[in-house]
Amino acid sequence: MTKSSTLVVNEAAANADTRFVAPDLVALDAKGAPRLIGGRCRKCNAVSFPRAAVCANCLSEDIETIELAHEGTLYSYSIVHQAPKGWTVPYALGYVDLPDNVRVLAHLDAPADKITVNMPMRLSVGVVGADPAGAPLLSYTFTPV
Amino acid sequence: MREVCVIGTGLIPFGKYPDKTLAEIGWPAVKEAIVESGVPPKSIDAVYCGSALGGMLSGQRVMKSLGLTGMSIINVENACSSSSSALAEAWTAVGSGRHDVVLVVGVEKLTKFGGGTLPLENEDWEVTQGMVMPALYAMRARRYMHEYGLTARQLGEVSVKAHEHGALNPNAQIRKRVSIDEVMASRPVADPFTLWHCCPTGDGAAALVIASADVARKQKADPVRVTASEVTSGLYTNGYRDMTWAELTARGAKEAYEMAGVGPQDIDVAEIHDAFTIAELMYYEAFGFCERGHAYELLSSGATSLGGDICVNPSGGLLSRGHPVGATGAAQAVEIVRQLEGRAGAHQVEGARVGLAHATGGGIAGLDHGACSIHIFAR
Repeated sequence: MTKSSTLVVNEAAANADTRFVAPDLVALDAKGAPRLIGGRCRKCNAVSFPRAAVCANCLSEDIETIELAHEGTLYSYSIVHQAPKGWTVPYALGYVDLPDNVRVLAHLDAPADKITVNMPMRLSVGVVGADPAGAPLLSYTFTPV
Repeated sequence: MREVCVIGTGLIPFGKYPDKTLAEIGWPAVKEAIVESGVPPKSIDAVYCGSALGGMLSGQRVMKSLGLTGMSIINVENACSSSSSALAEAWTAVGSGRHDVVLVVGVEKLTKFGGGTLPLENEDWEVTQGMVMPALYAMRARRYMHEYGLTARQLGEVSVKAHEHGALNPNAQIRKRVSIDEVMASRPVADPFTLWHCCPTGDGAAALVIASADVARKQKADPVRVTASEVTSGLYTNGYRDMTWAELTARGAKEAYEMAGVGPQDIDVAEIHDAFTIAELMYYEAFGFCERGHAYELLSSGATSLGGDICVNPSGGLLSRGHPVGATGAAQAVEIVRQLEGRAGAHQVEGARVGLAHATGGGIAGLDHGACSIHIFAR
């Protein structure tokens, strides 16, 4: 993946006490706010998430790293009670539709009874589980607006 | 393509066999299919073995137990469609004239993982964010409930029907009836699913001997014919997708109906991929058994129960017969063949002449499902 300023910030975050479960997907900006890392094809403008190395629309490898929108709409969700080791159950999982035809799977940071289909959501960060040594793991999350 | 027939079937009762190896789970089904076929074991030209998680050389491990080696053995991995994809490859091999007699086996041992949700590929980015198969189907269910007004309790009736059927099937993993209250009161897995909304994990094996019509008619007067065989993959997008519509299955169903020259109204019995309750309802619509949004009405009418016009999952389906992933497609095919031959026993669909088997699955980010394989059989 091409180095970008957001990724450098993320590498710093990776050295802190908590780490992102998938550092390729998310970075913190200069103010510490989370940003989803996507790609935009310079040939055909198709947006990818995760950032694609090759465009799934036109096969170009000329992909620009972009920040995705911070707000979207909840397409659907589930409260997960059974999951592999490492996840803190129960957790809310949902698909959030962002502009530019991108759908993102994310943990939702909200009480189960406050989550509804089609509600507006905003990007956030939260602890979603723990590594085998018990250290907390971070990921991007979405929170009701 | 020349005509392809099924001349032998084998199936072990699905269940939990933690003390058996994959080969020990697999060979009894293979032996049964060969004995039933009546052909000399050495006449088998090729073997296609479907297993999703069995590991390297699953087919060779099973076949060497019976001393049947030396022929072409191809191992097929296609998640939940592994052994149905193996059947499709075998159909092509016989239909094309390359081989006359081919064995298909599906075998899986999920107890080696010690229970819980199916292990998924950690390179998949959605898996890194906590995706599990029940959650994927649960999100389909949640959206379907939102759009069509279905309730979780109505959804639970799919499980009641599945276990009504499975209770009659000696090869089913769960041979007991459940009430709707038991379904709804069982422990939560992925809301709106409780445990009874989800297929069990377990072990199993199933096998079929297929042959050209020339060979088949020397063994049987009126063999079951394979009138459609197809495999499709999901369409990738990282964008929006209508999760209330099983696009992959609908596309495969259209192809299969065209190949067989039949339509949904011609199907007497179907084994479809009810890994979770919502799946059965969505597939009613994808196969054209009813209009979109009307699947629950079809279920509650009794049309898809034993005695109904289009019996779906008389074996109990994945929910009750069980779902040892790679073995499922072959087990469905065995079930349909035995139904068309009128020897399904207590869960026989009376007078069934045309049946279909449908195995689809594989959680993979950006695709409806990884794979879908559909076969239509007729007699």
